[in-house]
Amino acid sequence: MNKDVPQPIQKAVQSPLTLLMKIKSEADYQQLNGLLQHIQSLPPDQNPVWAALNQLKTVHFARFVFLNNNTQLAVITTYDGTFENYINEFIDAIGDIFNALLAHMQDAPPLPVQQYRAEFLAYVKANDLRCIDPFYSAYPTAPVLAIQDALSQS
Amino acid sequence: MAALPLAEIQGFILRGYGMDALRLFILRVESAAESRRLLGKLPVTDGAPWAQKPDFCLNVALTYEGLSALQLPPESLNSFPQEFVEGIVRRAEAIGDVDESAPANWKQPLAGAGVHIVLLLFAQNQNIIEAQSTELRALWAAGSATSEIFAIDGGVLPGDLAHFGYRDGFSQPAIEGGPVNPVPDILPAAPAGEFVLGYPSQFEQFTYPVPVPQELGLNGSFLALRILEQDCAGFERMQNEAPRKYGISGEKLAAKMCGRWRNGVPLSLSPDTDAPSEPIPPELLNSYDYVPTAEHPNIYDDSKGYRCPVGSHMRRNNPRSSTVAGGSGLKHRIVRRGLPYGPPYDPGHPDDGIERGLVGLFIGVSLKDQFEFLMTEWVNGDSFAAGITGTKDPLLGISGDGGGKMFIPVEGGNKLIVSGFSQFVRTRGAAYCFIPSFTALRYIADLR
Repeated sequence: MNKDVPQPIQKAVQSPLTLLMKIKSEADYQQLNGLLQHIQSLPPDQNPVWAALNQLKTVHFARFVFLNNNTQLAVITTYDGTFENYINEFIDAIGDIFNALLAHMQDAPPLPVQQYRAEFLAYVKANDLRCIDPFYSAYPTAPVLAIQDALSQS
Repeated sequence: MAALPLAEIQGFILRGYGMDALRLFILRVESAAESRRLLGKLPVTDGAPWAQKPDFCLNVALTYEGLSALQLPPESLNSFPQEFVEGIVRRAEAIGDVDESAPANWKQPLAGAGVHIVLLLFAQNQNIIEAQSTELRALWAAGSATSEIFAIDGGVLPGDLAHFGYRDGFSQPAIEGGPVNPVPDILPAAPAGEFVLGYPSQFEQFTYPVPVPQELGLNGSFLALRILEQDCAGFERMQNEAPRKYGISGEKLAAKMCGRWRNGVPLSLSPDTDAPSEPIPPELLNSYDYVPTAEHPNIYDDSKGYRCPVGSHMRRNNPRSSTVAGGSGLKHRIVRRGLPYGPPYDPGHPDDGIERGLVGLFIGVSLKDQFEFLMTEWVNGDSFAAGITGTKDPLLGISGDGGGKMFIPVEGGNKLIVSGFSQFVRTRGAAYCFIPSFTALRYIADLR
């Protein structure tokens, strides 16, 4: 490869999501924390978040983080494609988890999210902190499915 | 679920008519009141079973601009989904109608103002088309209701083939509560609300919003009309060069690009020949899947695409039970109708300058989640499945001039890379339409 010739930038398929949700009260935090600690303590095959994300095959990484003295909950993920195009699959896979989380949030969209899909999408868009571009990935053009396929052959 | 109210629903949503001829009319509303009355007079075909197959069938669909020209109430106009309101011209770039397929290059006046009413006249033969056209034209001429701004004829080609030489049109979803498919698949039936407004959809606890009032929206659906020109000469040249360039026969390359042999035999059922020793009955040509499922555990596991490439046209547009991003290939199904236009391609006169292609009708309750999802994620995307990075649908994708690429997996060997081919299909016209129910047609006709 001639290093003097600029190489075209390959189209990234990965995107970041930093969803920041404001918790209603200390009591709501306590309940949320109990719920998430319980879910995350389950073995992977029983953890509903893991099961949902395994089913989706568009999410590379995901984590829950309490912020600002436990007044906010962040869901931080890296996913493939456009969130909007896969919103229906996302809700089908993990809608009940979000119903449980959003019940403790201020200015939450109407629930259940399964019945108010457009409102949930608008909520996620409005509360995604985005990032200071560019978003770095060591392999920005590789979707989850390609990585899993490659790993299965190694 | 209970049977759908078939007499309320326009017939072409639920079943193919199996008719040999089609004339598509596009009308512009000249008088709102007269055009509304016209909609109440049209002999539209419903979805009820036939005692005897009629000579012709007629269906009608309306663009957002058309609904507006018909002077529907603002609360109704405001209740339609955004993609329909915007229309396909404004969404062309997102779905891949760019470069030669861009609206600027469409047949006039399809990209301009005045595409209001789409009429689809299907008939047993061309004589009936002509006779019914005369009657229809008299109907809309009365009271200067509308003006006809465009018409195009389609028709079955010899051998019931599409222009690239494939048998076509039998891969349709079964719809819960609808009629039985003549060539059924082995997939779960699609919920009625995936194709008819007002019923539970393919997504959990979700029914797509029905435009208001209910008389207008219930039992309707949406249509993406596409006029797609096909470069038969270019496609045949590629097949002719296949032995030299790729070391496989042109017929095999054509099969790998599409997902089935040109006679309709799917690669999944017969990967090596279009004439298996045990012939496949016509009614079983759609009875296959790409991977084993709980219901069909003995199906060959073609996850890698050794039989039918993951990037082939058919598998991209209907991945069935394959592993795809989002978790299900069964939630973005679409009804496909239509007929070829233009004369059969003659290999003896490859560059005859005659336009030929497909009048395509793609139906679903959500243009965004069905037609547009297919175009953006599956036809022109390369991240919804493993093994297709850098490729697009070899028949429909945006390949431009020589940018086409697909992979043909080879069991136990290196994949075959087919590249450097040009785009064989370009869009020459399109419209997003609402397909009203019979109650809706009466509702519109009675508006004052």
